[in-house]
Amino acid sequence: MTRENEQRALLEAVFERINVGVLLLDDANRIVRWNRFMATHSGLEADAVLGRDLFDCFPELPASWLKRKLESVRLLRNYAFTSWEQRPYLFRFQHDRPVTGGVDWMRQDCTLIPISDSTGQVSHVCITVVDVTDASLYQSALQEANTRLEEASVRDGLTGIYNRGHLETRLAEEFARVRRHGGALSVVMFDFDNFKRVNDTHGHQCGDEVLRQVIRRTSSLLRAEDLCGRYGGEEFTLLLPDTPVEQAVRVAERVRAAVEATPIRTRNRELGMTITLGIAGYEENLGSHEQLLDNADKALYRGKREGRNRIALFDHRLDGQG
Amino acid sequence: MATPVLVVDDSTMSRKLTMRALPADWNVELHQASGGEEALALCRQIKPRLMLLDLTMPGMDGFEVLEAMGREGLECVVVVISADIQPKAEARVLELGAVAFLPKPVDAGQLARVLRENGLS
Amino acid sequence: MSLKSFSDDQLDALQETANIAMGQAGAVLARLLDHYVALSVPRAKPVQAADLAATVSAMLGPSLDLAVTAVRQSFQGRLRGEAISLFGTEGCSELADLLGHESGAGAEQQEELLLDVSNILVGAVLRGLGNQLHTDFAFSAPTLLGQEQGVAAILRRGPVDWVDALLLEVNFRLDPRNFSCHLVLLLPEESIDVLRQALDRMLGDI
Repeated sequence: MTRENEQRALLEAVFERINVGVLLLDDANRIVRWNRFMATHSGLEADAVLGRDLFDCFPELPASWLKRKLESVRLLRNYAFTSWEQRPYLFRFQHDRPVTGGVDWMRQDCTLIPISDSTGQVSHVCITVVDVTDASLYQSALQEANTRLEEASVRDGLTGIYNRGHLETRLAEEFARVRRHGGALSVVMFDFDNFKRVNDTHGHQCGDEVLRQVIRRTSSLLRAEDLCGRYGGEEFTLLLPDTPVEQAVRVAERVRAAVEATPIRTRNRELGMTITLGIAGYEENLGSHEQLLDNADKALYRGKREGRNRIALFDHRLDGQG
Repeated sequence: MATPVLVVDDSTMSRKLTMRALPADWNVELHQASGGEEALALCRQIKPRLMLLDLTMPGMDGFEVLEAMGREGLECVVVVISADIQPKAEARVLELGAVAFLPKPVDAGQLARVLRENGLS
Repeated sequence: MSLKSFSDDQLDALQETANIAMGQAGAVLARLLDHYVALSVPRAKPVQAADLAATVSAMLGPSLDLAVTAVRQSFQGRLRGEAISLFGTEGCSELADLLGHESGAGAEQQEELLLDVSNILVGAVLRGLGNQLHTDFAFSAPTLLGQEQGVAAILRRGPVDWVDALLLEVNFRLDPRNFSCHLVLLLPEESIDVLRQALDRMLGDI
């Protein structure tokens, strides 16, 4: 064998045995090369497909889309790609994880490569098919874990509602939106009346249960776009987008009444519970979302001073009284 | 007598390439401008027979130069030499009065043909 | 590295080479979308990894800075580097519309479309550069860097294995539509030397 032939035989062996699907199409999309990976996974040996139209051999291929893609490779002389993340597979191949797979067909990353002949014209297109089933399973699992982590980082561990950090982020966003586009925004802050007594008399576990139940009751009275968050201790905040302050007063009153109406039932006792709520609405002269929160807090403070189990609306006369 | 020719391009290299593409035996008096405003000012002053004009330039671009020349009635054969090779760019410059549209990097043979067709060189 | 290490002639040649490459890519995009594509003057800038986000933000301007969708793709050859295409959020839906996709198209189809368009642009720009500099490229698959996020958040991602790079920016805009795409090419230091030699050869030919 001449040296050149020897080199060619080696390349041929690599082409056959490489653990990547490789096929070559001529200018009429006829298959002119077909390696072992393709034969094994498709169940079609080279002599069954060579010279035949790719789309005749594989009717399940997305023909119009893939033809357009092949055309663009020839016309633009450009590589093209498909990724399992957008298109799980090109060829319907079995994967090597029949038991632990959890996916239907082999996940694939494919590359379409323009191949030029000696005149510089694109004469062929080479398609490579890489089995990425393992990587895709791993990445999907990772993504799920990340989503859970992200959720955990914005939720309060005890009540399952949003924590202070997330609440402030969302409030800042809503505040910016109203400032830019106009509209309404209200904030309600509420606190449990004499909550310390519950903890002192019945223990923290009972106190925690009371918080959970009141939050559940409150959440059921809110719209989907409203947000309930724990501000700290026994202080909670409702963020009510698109809500003028008069409407927020009605929401607050409904929440107050719902808490007062039915005693909280814990494992072996019933506890009457009340809350006090402070309400403030967006105003153009507010400098920041913190000021809006501060106004709701001032209203809450006044409600407490005036005797608890009530709602109180922020009033500019409260400003400066602290 | 030498023919006054104005080469307009913000790139020095590109101006050099354009000047080099002019027929070697043509007796020309070469002027250069690196932007649209400068090109217009020179155009009023030296009244070139031929302007070789780039399209994408910072500040006043080639389209605007052509528009201004039309408004002021400045008589000059304009050949656009452009990196922007979209058919719509070509249609627009021809509409604005350019006699030809050549893609960059400019081909000397193509340029010579355009010059002959327009009775130059 | 600073652009001072480039002579004025080299810089000018670089800008003009980029200009021609971009014109060819613009023509491809125009044919694809059947619209006239307005081209900007390409910009070249030295950039350090740490300042990448700030530099790109400044290039995009305030309207795009807040929410962009970005696609990353690397290219290999004598010159190697990364290409990042940045689309405005409105641009993404405009794109689907321009290519005749129904608005009901799934998120995956929209993503695939974006990857395709950015792949075509990157391929066209680099082929244009390669033709003039007498070099060619291989490409890796494009991936989504982030969707509808601030530039800073998107460019913070991923390991960075370079300190200094040369940034080349071109910008395609469809005037009557809300579509624009900023294409940023980043060449790491060792490619900058190769680039400089290639530019010198080009200048020597004039």
